[in-house]
Amino acid sequence: MTERAVHESGRPVRRCRPSDLLLWLLGKRIRVRVSGDSMAPTLTDGDHVLVIPSDEAEIGDLVLCKHPYRQDIRIIKRVSDTTSDGLTLVGDNASQSTDSTSFGTVPWSRLIGRICAQM
Amino acid sequence: MLETALKILNQKLPADSAEAHCDGPCGVYDPASARIAAEAGLSMTKKILALAPPEGNDGAAWAAYLNTVSRYVAIKEEQTHIAKEELLVLWTDYFKPHHLEAYPDLHDIFWKAAKLCSYVKVEVNLAHAEEMMETIEKIHNIFWATKGREVAYYTAS
Repeated sequence: MTERAVHESGRPVRRCRPSDLLLWLLGKRIRVRVSGDSMAPTLTDGDHVLVIPSDEAEIGDLVLCKHPYRQDIRIIKRVSDTTSDGLTLVGDNASQSTDSTSFGTVPWSRLIGRICAQM
Repeated sequence: MLETALKILNQKLPADSAEAHCDGPCGVYDPASARIAAEAGLSMTKKILALAPPEGNDGAAWAAYLNTVSRYVAIKEEQTHIAKEELLVLWTDYFKPHHLEAYPDLHDIFWKAAKLCSYVKVEVNLAHAEEMMETIEKIHNIFWATKGREVAYYTAS
């Protein structure tokens, strides 16, 4: 098994276990494909991840959110700060990421869940 | 075993995507869009300055002259505004705080470029139009340096 490099700002994304697959099959996890490289090297274009639906997240978590301004788009970013107003999101690949430095704080209501495993 | 199964699953049944795009889900940044619009502003400034009013009171000649000037002015207004908008998007959406550390005068350059677009829009001033293009060339050089690429600056005209 190859360990993917992990950005120093966050936690690693662990590999998928059989129990994760089972939970996905039971509809308890969301499976999504990463499009783009703003989360490199942690996640790169084409990677698949599983998401735990949640309305909570902590600093360092990788999260799946609805885009703050575009209803039809979901984004994967890392939480760099949390306040009562929402989440501050950044890309691990800071030089090539559009994130909260561009679109500001993302309201908690836009949070879909936390990335729990890489497939 | 699990790894192989996951690999096949991901290949045969890709999931819906979530965006982690390098430059956001909207697409691509390139100062060329600002440069092209600004060039139109420079070109219209030159054309307005080169346009001589007709002699005498020939109504048709004056109508043609006023029509041409109006068109040049309208295009100058429109394109320099587009150039300013393109620069502001680049400034506020692409550039990040760590770019500012590498280029401490970044804000000044963009502020100056945007102001020059405004000057060219409201004036007929060749010096300001040329200065606008020089400032956009600086932005071009900084932008591509942040990308780690060597992209030569050029103009269409």
